[in-house]
Amino acid sequence: MENSDNDFSPQQSLQLIESMINRAKDKFADDGLMYLIWGWLVFLCSLLQFVLMHVYQYPYHYIVWLATIPVFIFQFIYESKRHKKQIVSTYTDNIIGYVWITFAVVIILLGFLVGALTTGEYYTHIIHILLAVYGMPVFLTGVIVKFKPLIIGGIACWILCIASTFVKVYDYQFLFIPFAMLVAWIIPGYLLRAKYKLQKS
Amino acid sequence: MFKDLDPILHSQLRLAIMSLLISVKQAEFTFIKEKTNSTAGNLSVQVQKLKEAGYIEVRKEFKDNYPNTTCKITQKGIKAFEEYVKALQQYLQVKK
Repeated sequence: MENSDNDFSPQQSLQLIESMINRAKDKFADDGLMYLIWGWLVFLCSLLQFVLMHVYQYPYHYIVWLATIPVFIFQFIYESKRHKKQIVSTYTDNIIGYVWITFAVVIILLGFLVGALTTGEYYTHIIHILLAVYGMPVFLTGVIVKFKPLIIGGIACWILCIASTFVKVYDYQFLFIPFAMLVAWIIPGYLLRAKYKLQKS
Repeated sequence: MFKDLDPILHSQLRLAIMSLLISVKQAEFTFIKEKTNSTAGNLSVQVQKLKEAGYIEVRKEFKDNYPNTTCKITQKGIKAFEEYVKALQQYLQVKK
C-alpha cells in the first residue's frame, strides 16, 4: 500500500474503508472442535448413564459424568494456547465467549437451585431444565455468527424440552439429552468444521 | 460548505489501519501488516503518527520471548473516524 499520499478522492477513500472492513471480517470460522468434543462426550455419557440406570439398575449411574473433568482441563489448556496464538480479537469472539460463560454459570446455578429449592424426587426436573438451557448458547451463537444449523439446533432443543414433558417415565426422558446433543451440537459441529476446512483450503 | 478532511486520516495507509481497527476489538501488528499489504517500516511510522494523534492505543509486550505490538482504537479515534466519514459523505453529496 502506498505511503501517505493525500491526493486520493473521497470515492477512493470510501472504497478503501469498505474493503478494509471486509478484510477484517474474513477471518476463519470456528473449527467446531469444542462442539464435537462436548457434543460426543455428553452424548456418550448420557447414553451410558441410561444403560446403567435402566438396564443394570446401577445406583451410582451418575458416576459417568466424572469423564467431564479431564475434558474441562483439556479445554482450559487448549483455549489458553489458542488465545496466545490469536493475532486479532474481535467483538464477536468476545460476545460469544460471554454467552458461553453465562451458560456455564446458569447450568451450575440451576443444578444447585433444583437441589436446594425442590423436595422429593428433585432430579426428575433436571432433564427439562437442561434442555431449555442447552438451547440458549447454541441459538445465540448461531444468531451472532449468522450460522443457521446452530440456530436450528437451539430451537430444536427447546422443542425437545416441551416434548420431554409428555414423557412420564423418568428413564426415557433421559434419552432426550443425547438426541439434543446430536441436533444442537454434533451436527452443527460437523457443519462448522466443513465450513472451516472449505475456508482454509 | 463541506468540512475539511482530517489530514491524519486522509492518507491511504493510516485510513486502512483505522478502518481495520474500527472493525475489531484489538489487533496485533502482524495482522495489520498482512491485511494492509504494507512494509513493517512504513506501518511503524504510520502507527506512531496515529498514536501521537491519540487515535489509537499501542501496547508493547513480549509474547514467547518476541516483542509483540497490539493496537486498539481509542474513543477519540472512533469520533475522528466518524467525522471523517461524515465529511466524505458531504463531499460526495455536493458533487452529485
